[in-house]
Amino acid sequence: MSATIIDGKAFAAKVRAQVTDHVARLKTDTGITPGLAVVLVGEDPASQVYVRSKGKQTVEVGMNSYEHKLDPQTSEADLLALIDKLNRDPAVHGILVQLPLPDHLNSDLVINAIDPAKDVDGFHISNVGLLGTGQKSMVPCTPLGCLMMLRDYHGSLSGMNAVVVGRSNIVGKPMAQLLLGDSCTVTIAHSRTKDLGAVCRGADILVAAVGRPKMIPGDWVKPGATVIDVGINRIQHPDNPEKTKLVGDVDFDSCAQVAGAITPVPGGVGPMTIACLLANTLTACCRANGLAEPEGLTA
Amino acid sequence: MRAQVIDGKAIGARIRAEVAAEAAALAAQGWQPKLVSVSVGDTAAAELYVRNQQKQAESAGVTFEARAYPGETSLEQLTGILQGLNADPRVNGIIIQRPLPEHIPVKVLQKAVHPLKDVEGMHPASIGNIVYNDLALGPCTAVAAVEILKTLPLPMEGLNVTVIGHSEIVGKPIAFLLMGLGATVTVCHHMTRSVAMHSRAADAVFVAVGKPGLVTGEMLKPGAALIDTGINRIDTPDGPKTVGDADFASCAEVAGWITPVPGGVGPVTVATLMKNAVLATRMQMEHYAASYAKTDF
Repeated sequence: MSATIIDGKAFAAKVRAQVTDHVARLKTDTGITPGLAVVLVGEDPASQVYVRSKGKQTVEVGMNSYEHKLDPQTSEADLLALIDKLNRDPAVHGILVQLPLPDHLNSDLVINAIDPAKDVDGFHISNVGLLGTGQKSMVPCTPLGCLMMLRDYHGSLSGMNAVVVGRSNIVGKPMAQLLLGDSCTVTIAHSRTKDLGAVCRGADILVAAVGRPKMIPGDWVKPGATVIDVGINRIQHPDNPEKTKLVGDVDFDSCAQVAGAITPVPGGVGPMTIACLLANTLTACCRANGLAEPEGLTA
Repeated sequence: MRAQVIDGKAIGARIRAEVAAEAAALAAQGWQPKLVSVSVGDTAAAELYVRNQQKQAESAGVTFEARAYPGETSLEQLTGILQGLNADPRVNGIIIQRPLPEHIPVKVLQKAVHPLKDVEGMHPASIGNIVYNDLALGPCTAVAAVEILKTLPLPMEGLNVTVIGHSEIVGKPIAFLLMGLGATVTVCHHMTRSVAMHSRAADAVFVAVGKPGLVTGEMLKPGAALIDTGINRIDTPDGPKTVGDADFASCAEVAGWITPVPGGVGPVTVATLMKNAVLATRMQMEHYAASYAKTDF
């Protein structure tokens, strides 16, 4: 193995420490405590785990956490009323509606009801457009985390060839925008791309976000390239059929032989997502109060 | 010359004919599409452009009102004017002519236009919709450039496309529109190490930079489509001339299809503005209809 392993856990801890410091200073200097409201509708077990984890980390960095757990049968009108209330609550700087929502609720409508300035997930259509037009916006957490790791590892990304595999709204597309913003030459590849291997081999930075276990083999990686693996796939454990195992979208063992640096799964991009949620909440709080944005924690 | 020269004027005329039919249908339902153009300050620079829009609008059955405000108009006054136009049900689309005086930030004005009346496709919500592959009102030049590509016998799925230029109103939206159609898109710009390496691999090349002669024949794959959105005024021994970002003569030797400048993307862009006008009118009509329906309960 030759690649440097990018330790997402350690880096996320560093980001959280930065957020903690900034929150503490904010409290001393201005008396303001950033607040994050998380709305969970229903009892999806995975969502419950996420929401608990988000709430815990929010409190750990010194921010206020407001959890709103709603009945699975909650009507659209009631949910929109809650969002309206949170939009107007000055103690709430970030609002996150945990997805997926139950089938009877229109998630586009709900997300677009959030005040874009409080949309810490960066999914509101105005934030998507602001990012698309190079303006200040709230940036989706996962691609923001990837960008932070790339900047930390490389310094400047200017002029590098970046290939993003996957064109999802929550990772692939915003990732491409962020890399363009940092002056990479960006190719967005996807399921319809011809000769994906050749496209990937042109990449100095390869970001995989497709959701297919071990789809990218080592011989698709340019020697020395940086590989960011956003995929989180649960597969059957190779040695024990009764157990499962988490793997990414890249075949770690063969890619690590070729790449210059690579993020593991788990412990790579994953831990960065919540860290960036906290960073976004802090950013939203600073903007709402006309204060300078936290350095190094925005796009 | 090898390349087939794409006739933007003919494509524009075809779109305008479709728009005229749609405009007539809307007018019959009491929704005569109407555009208002807002110019501020020294309007001479944009005058030719505005007059052309007016002419095209009339030929497409779209009412066009050109308003000019003095250069000292404040941002607050202009925002107020836009709010008035937003609220006026007889106005279906608002065009903000550039250049604007220095004290008027264009992005603030673009954001002040209601997204349902954003016929130029510049509001962040309009761009957001493009990114999410939900084409409502798109930026005219980008939509026009993509429409031109769609007239060629090339399958969009898996098509390798290189976009040169990553401007917010042309390059980037082109990239997202094409990605939505299934193309594999590479976006190059001034920091790209070797544009030629990327353009030579492409089945279609879009150039939107504003530099005459930037793309030459040797940068193209033989048979590729070249769509040139550049409009540059240059001085030649024969007097001033309008050219694109591509060196037409050398590119035409290599490309399979090429858009000329003038007469390529330009006429399709103005036709797209008219198409957006009828689209916006229909969206507003449906928006009002939806709010009537709500009064029933």
